[in-house]
Amino acid sequence: MKVNERTIGDLLWRIILLLWALTIIVPLLWVLYESLKTNQEFFADVWALPRKWAWVNYKKAWVSYELGSTMLNTLYYVGASLVLGTFLTTINAYALVRLQFKGRQLIWSMIMLSLFLPGINALIPQYVLMRDLHMLNSLTGLILLDSLGESVFFLMLLGGFMQSLPKELEESAFMDGASLFQTFMRIIVPLSTPGIVTVAIFKFLGLYNNFLGPFIYLSDAKKHTIGVKMYHANQIMQYKSDLVTLFAGVTIAMLPTLILYIVFQKKIAEGATLGAVKG
Amino acid sequence: MASSETTRTTHKGSLMKKSDMQKRLFVLIAVWPCFIGYLLFNLYPNIVSVYYSLIDWNGISEAKFVGLSNFVSMFQDVFVWRALYHNLILILTIPVLTVYISLILAYLLINKGYLEVKLYRILFFIPNILAVIVITLLWSFIYDGSYGILNGLLKIIGIDMKEYYWLGDRSTALWALLPPLIWSGVGLYVVIFMNAMKSIPPSLYEAAVLEGASHTTRLFKITIPLLSPIIRVGVLFISLGVFKGFEFMLILTNGGPSGSTDVIGLYMFSMAFGSTSHNYGYASAIGMFLFVILIAVKLITDRIGSKESLEY
Repeated sequence: MKVNERTIGDLLWRIILLLWALTIIVPLLWVLYESLKTNQEFFADVWALPRKWAWVNYKKAWVSYELGSTMLNTLYYVGASLVLGTFLTTINAYALVRLQFKGRQLIWSMIMLSLFLPGINALIPQYVLMRDLHMLNSLTGLILLDSLGESVFFLMLLGGFMQSLPKELEESAFMDGASLFQTFMRIIVPLSTPGIVTVAIFKFLGLYNNFLGPFIYLSDAKKHTIGVKMYHANQIMQYKSDLVTLFAGVTIAMLPTLILYIVFQKKIAEGATLGAVKG
Repeated sequence: MASSETTRTTHKGSLMKKSDMQKRLFVLIAVWPCFIGYLLFNLYPNIVSVYYSLIDWNGISEAKFVGLSNFVSMFQDVFVWRALYHNLILILTIPVLTVYISLILAYLLINKGYLEVKLYRILFFIPNILAVIVITLLWSFIYDGSYGILNGLLKIIGIDMKEYYWLGDRSTALWALLPPLIWSGVGLYVVIFMNAMKSIPPSLYEAAVLEGASHTTRLFKITIPLLSPIIRVGVLFISLGVFKGFEFMLILTNGGPSGSTDVIGLYMFSMAFGSTSHNYGYASAIGMFLFVILIAVKLITDRIGSKESLEY
């Protein structure tokens, strides 16, 4: 519908939109260009542009925050949880939606119960449990914690997808002598790919951005993932003011999700809407 | 004839048995790892937290059953009430502001054909994909006293705050937490509301336009009432988040200065995992209290909203 009377009101609305846009653009650009200055330049005049781009800050951040090993930890934690979690969620959704077996109803209702559990009161018993299982300070332990479990949102999303596939597809594959597992891998997975990709993107965002889990469970500095590492880098800054390096570190930390967002912008917007519908 | 009949049924039976076995194995692999993980890491800790709230335990010592005494001291703990008061301030401001800002932005992005709208649709969601640590550090750069962006901008328009640390002063610290909390949530609701607005039939607006209704009237009289079910869900999610969330405070202020940004989740967290305290029993009692509050918030939000649900 195009009823665009260009008036003073329009100018006001455009300014409101622009102001909100600036609250996002300004801090991001500010950190980016400050990360390319020297500390002397930065403290002499905060707002001046860098005279010469000091890419060396990025090298300094990489070395002094041990971002090499941190990124490896992050890659292992995020990568393994993502692959294991997405596979298990997909096969789980298939079994719960398309197969009839004993206890299915009971399992569904137990899963639905999770909607009423806020989780915050479970933080302490969960920590004690992880300790008793000797899974503290272990990236693998954290991977198991984060990939084994039920998520109503992801089950609904994938389940909805799978329910819309015609039953004949599986039946004919079955007639041809394919096993359940083969049917799942060769027919269900390819046809549900759009849903699986959405689940994987949201799992990635959740895992990469997870702060509290790694903060609680990984106290050993050698095991730190990017979020916890940057937290400690910022804490140290109170004693030593090498801010340009911190800016470079923050920029590095936000790159992976920014790139993912640029690539999958449409899918992320769609998935975000689905999340609200479940209510 | 009869014998061939029996062989056929036994053959069929063994085939059934085979596929039955296969199905059991498949279900074993497909369902049980997730379900057992859920029981172990989620349901079990939730149930056990009730017991934890009734004991005196620092995680190492022998757990001592103390009945309701954790709850008794909790209700007498001024820090609990102070933290809850801060939560109250946040819950009265953040959900309303987040939803209103999102509604207005979404309405403008959908109904105004400005050139820049396409870019904004992508841009506005960016805070939602940034990690908590990135958001909090960005805002600590904004609020810093010596080099911060905010003081710099204020200076340009003629307000010299000198070296004022927004997060370091009792009088502003809690209020200074509102912008990052709102900023990081708006993008998601803009997307959600935009999609909901797209599904409103244009004919509804056309009639209003003919009668000369302005954009503001259309937004408040048509769009918002029609969106009320989804707005209610939004308010519920944000409200629950306000009571549960404490990562921003943990990173930005750790509850300080002198407790002025302490919230109930953070108080519970520092009781259990803080550098000085490992009081698992007491922290769990706070957790149980929080659980009750969250259920109450859910019920209240349902009650308030359900009156005005419209169909079109």
